[in-house]
Order: sequence, then C-alpha cells, then structure tokens
Amino acid sequence: MATIDDADEPDGPLNRWVQRAIEDPERVYRALFYTAMVFFMVTTLFPFYWLLVLAVTPNSEIIGGGFIPEIELFGATVPFPLPVPQGFNPGAFVDVFREIPFHLYMLNSFALAVTTTIIVLVVASLAGYVFGRLEFPGRAVLMLAILAVSYFPPAAFVVPLYDVFAGNAVNIPFTDVALFQSIELLNTPGSMVLPFSALFMPLSIFILTTFYGQIPDGLEDAARVEGTTRLGALFRVIMPLSAPGVATAAVLTFISVYNEYFFSSIMATSPQAGNWSPLVGGILSYQTQYTTSFNLMAAASVVGVLPMLILVVVAQERIVSGLTSGALKE
Amino acid sequence: MSTETAGGERESRRSGPLIRVTRWMENLSDTTYAYLLLTPVFVLLGSIAIYPLLRTFEMSLFAQTFTGLGEFVGPGNYVDLFTGNMDRYLPGQPTFLPQSYGVQGLVTSALTMTLLFAFVSVFFETIIGMGQALILDQDFYGRRWIRAAIIIPWAVPVVIQGMMFYLMFQPSIGFLTPPLADLGLLAPTNTLNDPASATFVIIVADIWKTSAFMALLILAGLQSIDRGLYDVAKVAGASKWQQFKHITFPLILPTIAVAVLFRSVAAMRVYGIIDIVSSCTVVPSLSCMVVESFFSGFNAAAGTIAFTTAAIIGLVVMSLILWQGEEAI
Repeated sequence: MATIDDADEPDGPLNRWVQRAIEDPERVYRALFYTAMVFFMVTTLFPFYWLLVLAVTPNSEIIGGGFIPEIELFGATVPFPLPVPQGFNPGAFVDVFREIPFHLYMLNSFALAVTTTIIVLVVASLAGYVFGRLEFPGRAVLMLAILAVSYFPPAAFVVPLYDVFAGNAVNIPFTDVALFQSIELLNTPGSMVLPFSALFMPLSIFILTTFYGQIPDGLEDAARVEGTTRLGALFRVIMPLSAPGVATAAVLTFISVYNEYFFSSIMATSPQAGNWSPLVGGILSYQTQYTTSFNLMAAASVVGVLPMLILVVVAQERIVSGLTSGALKE
Repeated sequence: MSTETAGGERESRRSGPLIRVTRWMENLSDTTYAYLLLTPVFVLLGSIAIYPLLRTFEMSLFAQTFTGLGEFVGPGNYVDLFTGNMDRYLPGQPTFLPQSYGVQGLVTSALTMTLLFAFVSVFFETIIGMGQALILDQDFYGRRWIRAAIIIPWAVPVVIQGMMFYLMFQPSIGFLTPPLADLGLLAPTNTLNDPASATFVIIVADIWKTSAFMALLILAGLQSIDRGLYDVAKVAGASKWQQFKHITFPLILPTIAVAVLFRSVAAMRVYGIIDIVSSCTVVPSLSCMVVESFFSGFNAAAGTIAFTTAAIIGLVVMSLILWQGEEAI
C-alpha cells in the first residue's frame, strides 16, 4: 500500500512541484516569468541600494569593506546575501551640500537642460512642421542628412569646437581665411548648450515630424482662414494639438542633457560651479588630491539621481512612446 | 508718453517691418517656405557638426610633431595610424592596432577595444533586453511599476552610473571584486587599473544601463504583432516555446536587427563611463584617444583618430541607410 502511495504522490516539495509541472506546463512558464521578473528587479535596483548603503556608512568605515556580514543559519556560518551599512550616518546627505556647493552644480545642470530643451523645441518644431506637413524637393535627402549627422561621434567635433569656443578664429576649412573671431565661450552655458542642442535635436525632429504629420490639414486651414499667419498656425494650432509629442520631445531632451557626460566634462575647464560645471563636475569634486570621501560621492549620486527617478515615474508613458517611435530612426 | 497719437505712431512704425516680413512669408511658395524654416536647423548642425568635422579632417592632413602641427602631409597620418607610427602620440600604454591577439592585446588597442566593447555589450543587451521585453509584454498587476523600474537605469546620468560601478568594483571597498577575482574574471588588486578587468567592469556597467533601451525597442516590435496569430497557434496546440520560436521571434527579428546595428554605432562612442570607472590611459576607446591626445597638444593625432572614428561609424550608418532605404525615415 505504502509503495503505491509513493508512486502517486512523490514526497518532497520539489518532486511534487515537478510532478504538477509535467501535468500542467503553464506552471513552468509562470514560474520562469516570476523568477525572471525578480531577477531583473534585483539587478536593476541593486546599484541604487549600494549607493544608499555607502552613503549612510561613515567614510572611515568604508575602506576595508566587510559589507557582507556572516550570519548564523541553521548552525552554519554563511554570508548574508545583501550588503548592509556599517553604522548609520544620515548626516552625509547634509555634508554633501556643506563640503561643496552641490546645489549650484545641480542648478547649473537644470539651467542647461531647460535652455537646451527650449531651443530644441522651437527649432525642431520648425523642422518637424516642414518634414511632417510640407512636400518639397529634397525632403528625403535632408532627413537622411540629419539622421547621419546625429550618428557621428561627439569626439569627431570636439577638437575644432573647443578651439573656436576658446576664442580662436573661425577659418574656412582647408584655407587660412578667417571668417570671424569667436568670442570666448568656454566656461559659459553657450559652450554646452550649443553642442547639446545639435546633439539631441535630431531625435526631437523625428518625434515632432511624426506628431505634426498626424494633425488633419483642415484644422490648419481653418486657422489660416481665421487670419493666422503661417507661423501662427504652427505655434498656436499645430503645436498645442500635438501636446503629447511636444512633451515627449521635451522630456527626452531634458533627460539627455542632464545625463550628458562628454561635453559637460570638457567644456567646463575646471569643475567649479562658477564655471557652469554641471552635475558631472560636482560629483567628481568629492575626490581631491588628498582625500576621497566615498560616502559623500555616494550620497551626492543619490541626490543627483533623484530628479531622474521622479521624472521616470511621472513621465513613463512619454519616455516609452518617445523612445519607441523616435529612437529606431535616431 | 507725450500724446496718444505719438504713441500710436510709434506703435505702427515698430510693427512696420514685422508686417512686411509676415506678408513676405505668407507669399512664399511651399518649397521656399520649407527651406526657410529649415535654416535654423541646418545653421546649427552646420556650425556644430559639419564645420568641426571638416576642420578635424583638415587637421588630420598635417604632420604631427612633438612641438605641434607640421607641414601638409596628406593621408600620411592615416598611414602612420595603421602602421603603428602614431602610437607614440597616444597617452600611456595603448596602441591603435592590437600588438597581440590575446585578451590583453585586444583591450589595450584603441580600435579592437572599442569594437570588442560594442560587440560584447550590445550582444548581452539584446539578450537581456529581449527577456525584459517579454516580461513587459505580459499583462499583470503592477506592470506600470515594473516597467518604471526597468527603464530607470536608462535615465541615470553617466557620471552616477560610473560612480555606482566604481564604488562596486573599487578593490578596497567594493564587495564584488574578491568573489569575481576568485573566479579569475578580475584582477584581485588594482582592479580598475588593469585593462582587461576595467573593460569587464565597463561592459557590465553599459549592459546595466542600456538593456532597458533595447527592451523598449523590442517591446515596440512585440506589441505590433497581431495577437490573432497566438490564438491560432493555441488552437493548433502549440506550446509557449513553439509560439515564441515560430511567431514571436521571426516577426521581431527585423526590429532587433535594426536596433542592434544602431545601438552598436552608439556604443562605439563610449567615453564617460571609462573616464569615471577607470581612466582613458587604461581603457583606450577611440573617443578617449581623441580627447587624451588633444589635451596632450597632439591636434593632428587627435584629428586623425577622430576622423577615422567618424569614418567607421559613417560607413556603418551609410550601409544601414542603403539597406533600410526609405523605411529608415
């Protein structure tokens, strides 16, 4: 009797699970699904947790590690699967602003991002209107040109740009003829806003082209009959009607500028808030020749990433639609 | 403020040119108007992208000496770059072409390190992104929050992403270095100054940040699949795996191919994460070499590498555009 029971109902939770899984394969897929989901959640969010752990650990305790404590489990000593803070020092989040004016670096980042976003929206709107609503010879070629330019590496532009922004003459390429003397732009917002605008403009153009192209001609015609100018129709009718597209372009441009590294680190020649050095300069300032405040680096990173976390949660739909509609072309 | 008529006169005079401009604009043909509106874009792209690109090319045609730009040598610098004569202007140990074909040789050469980085990180990003996309494609409670969590790395500033991985793998604090060193994946000491280990960390960091981006692109492909196909498959008795193999995968393959190629081009521009996690003299990506040789005063060397990078990327993009044709727009 006992043997038959064993055959029908295998003992042990694993065996039972396997038995049921064979009868109903759906369960395997569901288990796989949840395992994968938990795995991705952990790998995605873990670095943030690690920053928090380091931020609240006093700096003197950080060197030497020991973040993985050994714990007693059923008599055996095993490492705890998560790092835990060594001590608790929430004051690091205050020291971040006391040590250097970190808020000024963040304000610089915001100012650069907002300025770039406004410039990009206005200029990309004009281009989006043209590509989305007008038929003219050379349309495809010009769009391809914008696409191609957007893919060139910033490193291919940086040397001559730096020279020009340092106040040197702008020469006609391949000649010694100077066109004009540039004003010095290094360490001013201009030296960053200009490259940012050029770099992130193409994505916005493609997003706005899609959205502006979908507004029915009748609406624009009606506005024109009412006496609006051509530009008025774009900015008073088409742009407001495409509000989701404009918001998408704005959010993506803002995030891109806030996250940019290349020009942000090069165009501010020293990491000082007064030189318009953005977030990049701020976070790297906690490492000086003499001391390295790992806890403040971590705390500053947590503070610096907060605006992006909020933006992703609030503007999730816009980001997803923007990336999926524009990015493949970008 | 004297009289109302004076004020009115000023008003009309001020708007005079504006009215004239408006009237002129209203009467333009569609084509002229289109080109007029595109002027700002092309002035911006022309001055920030095309002009510097031409100047970079110009710079690369002059001889590089330790004191500055020499005389015109035409394509001589490119010959030097690919024969190894340019390597002495590169900072630190790196060379342009690999000296040997072991791991160490590949990661200390600017060209192969950049290609290796792009290939390996995009490969894993595609696989992980596909997994994430398959999860986000399901309907389940809390999907919105899971999606936000998966997108978040994409929105993390490069400098903070760099900090995270620097602090995770810095051998004196990071808890990840000892176990991975035991496995032989990382150098146990001086980890981030070891070219192979630093490249490993940088690839991991890039996979962490950019998988979400691939996931969103693949998700868009998944959601454009006609759901009716799955109903048919279910009636025909296909298992989930068979549905994936015979419906999902073939239908999203074109999306993946385009996403992979464009992502690889973007990955070849890697710079920031290297600058923070390690150093440009240790992990020599092409962008790194441009910046480093420029700040050492070797403009011709910088220009040559910059234009070579642009040419490689340009060739990939051009072939893509030719392959995709009108669909790319």
